[in-house]
Amino acid sequence: MSADKIVVSGFRHFFQSDSGRVQATGEIDVTIREGEVVTLVGPSGCGKTTLLKAIAGFITPSEGQILCDGKPVRGPGRERGVVFQELAILPWRTVRKNIAHGLEIAHVPKAERDRTVERLIGLMSLNGFEDRYPHELSGGMRQRVAVARTWAADPDVILMDEPFAAVDAMTRLTLQEELGRLCATTHKTVFFITHSVEEAVFLGDRVLVMTKRPGTIKAMLDVPRPGKGGRDWDSFTGDPEMRAISEQVMHLVHAERV
Amino acid sequence: MMGRIAWKLLPAAPALIVLFAWWVYWTIVQPPPSVIPSILDVVRTGAELAFGGRLAGDIVASMGRLLGGVAFGMVTGMIAGFIAGLWRPVADFFNPLVVFFNAISGIVWLPLVIGWLGVGNALATFLIWNTVFFIIFQNTVLGIQLVPEVLEQGVRSLGGGRWETIRSVTLPGALPYILSGVRSGLGFGWRALIAAELVGATTGLGQLIFSGSEYHRADIIIFGALLIGAIAMLMDRWLLAPIERRTVVRWGLVAASRGR
Ligand SMILES: Nc1ncnc2c1ncn2[C@@H]1O[C@H](COP(=O)(O)OP(=O)(O)OP(=O)(O)O)[C@@H](O)[C@H]1O
Ligand SMILES: [Mg+2]
Repeated sequence: MSADKIVVSGFRHFFQSDSGRVQATGEIDVTIREGEVVTLVGPSGCGKTTLLKAIAGFITPSEGQILCDGKPVRGPGRERGVVFQELAILPWRTVRKNIAHGLEIAHVPKAERDRTVERLIGLMSLNGFEDRYPHELSGGMRQRVAVARTWAADPDVILMDEPFAAVDAMTRLTLQEELGRLCATTHKTVFFITHSVEEAVFLGDRVLVMTKRPGTIKAMLDVPRPGKGGRDWDSFTGDPEMRAISEQVMHLVHAERV
Repeated sequence: MMGRIAWKLLPAAPALIVLFAWWVYWTIVQPPPSVIPSILDVVRTGAELAFGGRLAGDIVASMGRLLGGVAFGMVTGMIAGFIAGLWRPVADFFNPLVVFFNAISGIVWLPLVIGWLGVGNALATFLIWNTVFFIIFQNTVLGIQLVPEVLEQGVRSLGGGRWETIRSVTLPGALPYILSGVRSGLGFGWRALIAAELVGATTGLGQLIFSGSEYHRADIIIFGALLIGAIAMLMDRWLLAPIERRTVVRWGLVAASRGR
């Protein structure tokens, strides 16, 4: 059994604005173990992003607490990388400079930085676009830059908020397999939000399902770990066990339609 | 091909139309030259001034004052704008003051400031600063506030600290507004400059125009006005536009003004 990496306990959050107080989430308790991929599905507006941003350290919980490696989260940090739901790469940096940014901040020597960037550019099929600015890329390519940027900084925990939503279906399949392989080989702890039930089951070691707003964790399903090297879609779709889990999650999600 | 050339010449069209209308009006009405001079008069006067020796010195004097005042206003406006943009309480504290002083034209301060600074370049610098500072300040604050928060969050979760987010997010993110502030600042800087030179200088384009008005020489006044406008346009094209092309346009923050 690996150690607990992220522990969310008694978390609840309210947003205060001029138009009043909004309860964003119900009470949430989640534990993410080291090296585990936990995926989260739930209806729009149920509080998924709120939970992720609290783990990332951008939202101070109204109630409850969040621990990372046993220490309370007090703000963002490089050990928790984030791929945001909105595009967060910098328009004024080229693809290469965006991906290298985290390494630059960490004062990684240029030669090593270049190697890492090269590798991720290949992995994300961004070859030939290294010196382009984000506005010259397609929406899906920009999202891939965002994933690469977070990955390049080599954080222990990666928090991803619907990272593949803007990617076309074909590329998405490749990226999901790629991500699965990366998770399996690098042993990173991943928290992954998605709207797609299939994606959640395909990538997750565990799938969490949230209720509608104010969301709580309604169900938690274990997904048998794939063999070494991650999963691929061909074997996934042919696997009756996977199909059964997907259907189960689908039922849970459908009951929460808003 | 023809279309492209026509497109390139389009910015010159308004000037040609105005010149043509001026020429037609002058030919038909034949007004006294002290009211509206002919184009030819203005051109002749311009040539006389240019070769008579005075003009070059006036232009240099005015440009020196303008650039000095604008640079001073830009630097102070950006520094203050960054401080106010990054620290909300500072902005809340200074905003009423900024609104208050921004409403007061430099001319109001003039009698006082002449007493403090005399009537030299310091006066011109102050009057230009008094307009440029507020424009740059307000644009900088707005630009900083409009940078999407998620960009900053992204850099912070890459391990970037306060300084890194300012350097790599806030500064370039606010640049479109800062540059637009510089553009208006230069324009209003010219206005303030001429006002300053009318009262407190012996050289400069403002003085040139003032001498024209003393002798009822409309041709000098109009020549001076054309010269100021032309210099302003060239500065915009050769100073500001290239900076924009290399930064905010290159980054896709501002659409290129013409299809490329
Ligand atoms: N900054 C904010 N101020 C006020 N209310 C907010 C704010 N951010 C989110 N909310 C509210 O909190 C609730 C949860 O928002 P959240 O972004 O966490 O939803 P989500 O589950 O990520 O939805 P989606 O799947 O559409 O991204 C929503 O009802 C939203 O209206
Ligand atoms: Mg969301």
